[in-house]
Amino acid sequence: MEKPRLDRRGFLKGAAVAGGATIAVEAPALAQTTPAQPKAPGPSAAQMAAETEHPGEGEHLTTEKTGSDFMVDVCKTLNIDFMAACPGSTFRGFQESFINYGKNTKPEWLTCMHEEVSVGMAHGYAKVAGKPMAAMVHGTVGTQHAAMAIYNAWCDRVPIIMFTASAGPVEDRRPGIEWFHSVQDGAATVRDFTKWDDYPWSLQSFAESTVRAYQLATAQPQAPVLITADGKLQEMELSKAANAQLSIPKLNHPTQASADPDALKDLAKMLVAAENPVIFADRYARSQKGMDDLVKLAEALQAPVIDQQNRMNMPTTHYLCQSSRGGPLLAQSDFVLSLEPQDIYGTLNKMTDQLERKTGSKIKKTTKVASIGTHDLMVKANYQDFQRYNATDLQITADPEASMPWLIEAVLREVGDRKSAFDARGEKMRAAYKNFANNARKAGALQWDSSPIGGARLFAELWEVVKNEDWAFVTPNAYSGNWQHKLWPMEKHYQYIGSSGGSGVGYEPVGALGAALAHKQAGGRLPIAVIGDGNFNMAPHTMWTAAHHSIPYLAIIQNNRAYHQEVMHIQRMANRHNRGVESGVIGTTMTDPNIDYARLAEGYGAVGIGPITDPKDLNAAFKKGVAAVKAGQPVLIDVVMQPRG
Amino acid sequence: MKSHILLLAAAILAGPAFAQDAPKGDAAKGEKLFMADGCWQCHGVGGNGAALTGPKLSQTALPFEAFLHQLRRPAAEMAPYEAAIVPDSAAADIYAFLKSRPASPDLKDLPLLQGMGVK
Amino acid sequence: MSGNGKVDRRGFMKGAAVAGGATLATETRVRAQTAPAQPKAASPSAAQQAMENDPPGEAEKLTTEKTGSDFMVDVCQTLGLDYMAACPGSTFRSLQESFINYGKNTKPEWLTCLHEEVSIGMGHGYAKVAGKPMAAMVHGTVGMQHGAMALYNAWCDRVPVIVFTASAGPVEDRRPGVEWMHTVQDGAATVRDFVKWDDYPRSLQSFSESTVRAYQLATAQPQAPVFITADGKLQEMELSKAANAKLSIPKLNHPTQAAADANALREAAKMLVAAENPVIIADRYARTQQGVDDLVKLAELLQAPVIEARGRMNFPTTHYLSHWERSGPVVAQADLVLSLEPSDLYGQLNKMRDQLERTEGPKTKAGVKVISISTHDLLVRANYQDFQRYSPADLSITADGEASMPYLIEAVRQEIGDRKAAFEARGQKLLAAWKGLADRARAEAAMSWDLTPISTARIYAELYNQVKDMDWALLQDGGFQSNWPHRLWPIEKHHQFMGGSGGGGVGYQPVAALGGALAHRDAGGRTPISVCGDGEFNMAPHTLWTAAHHKIPYLTVVHNNRAYHQEVMHVQHMANRHNRGVENAIIGTTLRAPFVDYAKVAQGYGAVGIGPINDPKDLGPAIAKGLDAMKSGQPVLIDVVSQPR
Repeated sequence: MEKPRLDRRGFLKGAAVAGGATIAVEAPALAQTTPAQPKAPGPSAAQMAAETEHPGEGEHLTTEKTGSDFMVDVCKTLNIDFMAACPGSTFRGFQESFINYGKNTKPEWLTCMHEEVSVGMAHGYAKVAGKPMAAMVHGTVGTQHAAMAIYNAWCDRVPIIMFTASAGPVEDRRPGIEWFHSVQDGAATVRDFTKWDDYPWSLQSFAESTVRAYQLATAQPQAPVLITADGKLQEMELSKAANAQLSIPKLNHPTQASADPDALKDLAKMLVAAENPVIFADRYARSQKGMDDLVKLAEALQAPVIDQQNRMNMPTTHYLCQSSRGGPLLAQSDFVLSLEPQDIYGTLNKMTDQLERKTGSKIKKTTKVASIGTHDLMVKANYQDFQRYNATDLQITADPEASMPWLIEAVLREVGDRKSAFDARGEKMRAAYKNFANNARKAGALQWDSSPIGGARLFAELWEVVKNEDWAFVTPNAYSGNWQHKLWPMEKHYQYIGSSGGSGVGYEPVGALGAALAHKQAGGRLPIAVIGDGNFNMAPHTMWTAAHHSIPYLAIIQNNRAYHQEVMHIQRMANRHNRGVESGVIGTTMTDPNIDYARLAEGYGAVGIGPITDPKDLNAAFKKGVAAVKAGQPVLIDVVMQPRG
Repeated sequence: MKSHILLLAAAILAGPAFAQDAPKGDAAKGEKLFMADGCWQCHGVGGNGAALTGPKLSQTALPFEAFLHQLRRPAAEMAPYEAAIVPDSAAADIYAFLKSRPASPDLKDLPLLQGMGVK
Repeated sequence: MSGNGKVDRRGFMKGAAVAGGATLATETRVRAQTAPAQPKAASPSAAQQAMENDPPGEAEKLTTEKTGSDFMVDVCQTLGLDYMAACPGSTFRSLQESFINYGKNTKPEWLTCLHEEVSIGMGHGYAKVAGKPMAAMVHGTVGMQHGAMALYNAWCDRVPVIVFTASAGPVEDRRPGVEWMHTVQDGAATVRDFVKWDDYPRSLQSFSESTVRAYQLATAQPQAPVFITADGKLQEMELSKAANAKLSIPKLNHPTQAAADANALREAAKMLVAAENPVIIADRYARTQQGVDDLVKLAELLQAPVIEARGRMNFPTTHYLSHWERSGPVVAQADLVLSLEPSDLYGQLNKMRDQLERTEGPKTKAGVKVISISTHDLLVRANYQDFQRYSPADLSITADGEASMPYLIEAVRQEIGDRKAAFEARGQKLLAAWKGLADRARAEAAMSWDLTPISTARIYAELYNQVKDMDWALLQDGGFQSNWPHRLWPIEKHHQFMGGSGGGGVGYQPVAALGGALAHRDAGGRTPISVCGDGEFNMAPHTLWTAAHHKIPYLTVVHNNRAYHQEVMHVQHMANRHNRGVENAIIGTTLRAPFVDYAKVAQGYGAVGIGPINDPKDLGPAIAKGLDAMKSGQPVLIDVVSQPR
């Protein structure tokens, strides 16, 4: 064994032969035979010539067709209307093919200022258009930027066709940035919250994977999908012969899982037998047909429906729409049917938010629970959006909208002599329903003249101005009091869009932009967004994208100058620890200075109105705003409001 | 910066081989084409260059043929412009525009700039 | 299996667990026959209402003087952190309350950001100026997703940020709904590819040790972000005096960092001394002024040219051995390259041409020897390719460049011998070559002096003219502005320049500027300047609100070329390559129609907004006005409509 002391070669022990191991010998040799010293430190003419060589005659510099053209051919078969993107060099070949080879149509390219907008606007779009649009995000960094918007869409079970890109194999990557934005496994960071992903390694793979991705994204339960477009595949020359060998599979439109007929028969029997059934509808209706069917079911049973407002499920003008009485109805129910629940445990249970968290059931011990949903068809580990486990008496794995006609049929067959009992129940529902609007108006009157402005006043003033328009809400409005569900006649599926899914703040401005785009396509509609100030600040530049692409909508900032939910949380903690609430504003409020949202909107090229602090000024502001929206402009009205509607 | 040196070097090296007169171009048309064909994106509005993207082209010392060759078979990173996109006549217009550009201000007249940088 | 194979009414439940659905069909039928008595009215009984509104029993504890989150604050306060940046989120509500009340909002002080990308990204900029990390807290799941790209930039740039996120406790403690959406089993899974270390401590003692360990690892070379998940139950649980007394907080270790093997340094010294044309390339080498001073010593000793690769401020631009502007010829004629902390050694030595056929070639001549001193290999992760292309070196020394420098200097001194005269001759030539550089830079700057849009040279010249007598500091790397700062400004102090984004993730500039400006504010008397791209700025315009709110003064000059200009060039290149004309290359890459009015955006966020400046003659007065406003502690933005580069 050698002596343990460090000698001059010892430090190289274990190194591979090719690199460092040989240098120690070479280095002294080099010192002894130094090359001739150049005349000046500047480069020689020969060196410069070597650097400036023009390409040889044989080198191809241009080509009429590349792989990315074929990728566009693939996308075109899917009938996608829009591709939203904040530009990035990893997809430069793809982008150029879309706008030139693809003539910037089907899809049309939309410019966003943050990848959170590109993906998030597709979330809002799909819920209104009933079909997905696409988003393209820069390799690595664009995916990271978009991550939360993807999570929201995932939790909300909404399809988005997402593309990202990555440079090709090592010998094709330019040093520096291309490496920073390349990745071995393009979807690793977001795989926990996408339905499917692939990094195709050939153009034929790209064709089949992209068509498959679209099919999977739009199948129930819907969700975002991500395809990584390889940089080398994009930019490589595609000869006619090679192109001729490629094929694009036809898109399948599979029917979606309907409920087992025996299960439906059982469910019908249970519904008919129940004395006090309640129907909860969460992410149930995907279309007007779904709403119409739910009305049929409710009428067949004369059973109350609680619309959980993650979709537009039940007309607020129907006497069986008893959403504002959900608590008491649930407490006295003997049977609960839950349609596409996101959180059935939370529907049926409560937990106190005190030092000791206590759980309790909202239903009687004997109450039976049934559900129809696609939840279990798509569950991933890690992120806990699957919510708490909940035992049910009859759990039907199926798409409820697809199953609804069969359920109605089964119920009608079972009704028999229960008709008169149902009619009596229906009369009670009518009686209760009559009070809802009155109660809501009374509650609304409480804050009528207040400044900061109350939610009821806002929605009442708004109604006065838009009641003769074909309006549609493109935000959930839960934080401004849900007054539209209490006071407005909501009858059409497109009039309300539901919520964010994952409660990731930032959804409201981006979802609204996409939904407004879908409404613009539908024609003649007036999209209205009531956006929290904290939410809006996550993406104020959505107004520029709207102005640039002429996407009109009325954005009302519910400006309570705080992340108000968090103000309440910190206040609760401070109280719990007996420390007083004065410091609760630290880190939760947006005052000093106040933000001027109208000015921001103007800066981004939209119409900005406000701040409105006097409720009497709302009417004029809304009139002005609606006129501008009807003229094709995005409009923002800053309304200084109560903490909560 | 590097491509700057490259193109100047190209001029020096290529110069003697292309010692013909340039075809007559229309400088006014050339200015429009300089913008429309996106030359300005790398070489700046006015063509005075940007160190990392494209060298100064205003008052170019390149003979027309070398200019045209760089356009068609560019050295280094520049995107190639083939005749289908920029015909020879358009290249001549752009060349005329670049030749017609006014001289840059003389450093002597810019005291603010003279005082800059390392002494 | 059912006997006859047909689907019978029970068949669909086959395989279901006994407890749930399998018993139900029977029970339902029974119950349908014996329906419970019908309640008197559709509204809930008084008893039911009381049940729902249950006040807490006398025994239930509602408040407590101390919780786990207080102890977490105790832990953090041992680390000397000055700031905690956050956009609020309910998952860390108790921790936030403990910081602002129990911790008296000092060490760390809580900073409010309007997007998690800012919270993390400002920590990136801060650490490079302050020389120590600050902390960020991001909301469970969604906040972490929002902050992902900022984390990647800091990772690629090898900069420490102490990041906390939070997650609700075990299932029995999670309130239904949003808490589940924001809870995760493995909090760091999404970002593990680009953080140095992470942990989800399951006890307070674990939190203590893991947080101290995280700080130590983050600040050790190579530095990088770390990620600790603070469990919600641990935060909110009552902490008795007895339990608290059992907890301990370990003292923070300050380990010395890896210096180079002495034998390797001797070998390197021999090679350096023997070389005729050695060149030193410094990238992420200097962490402090000491590092800069040492590099000057080494360069002077050898009379060797230094190429500033601008990953950090490594070498004074005023020194005659600063030859980065001649990097092409200097590298081409070198017979030895010493590369200090390269982020991309391959790219320093090789080039790849961006044409249809990507061709590569060395920047160096044949026979060149390469030495690197770097911590690169001490922190390499798979998947994201930020490790850059593999590059052989003749002597690859794994060690911290700055820590090793004094020993390398010493080793070189010992080897010089009779080479002194040759070195001095080399120095004379370098001095001569250097003298022309500034003249050439000024001459080039003069070329575009009067142009509209305004040249970036003019921006930097006008800026310098007014700040030259101040203790100015640049917050951006100037790479998108033709590197004018390094060509024209005398950058001599380490704090005057902080390098670039690391990962090339757009959005770095505004957020890092905010953090850098904060560190400069605390250092006292400095004038921080950010020349920020327009596309960059739009990623986080609300950084100006945080700056206004917390009184962090700095000057933002928006380099407004109304485009993602890098992407314009890319798409134009593609269009040329495919012979399709460049007219459409502005689609998806430009920020026009409408123009963004950045001064208005700044004003909307409570900062001073000036511009747009179109005439170069207006630039000087605008800067004077801006600097004046900064004196009163305000952030200022000047919108300058500029040349593309």
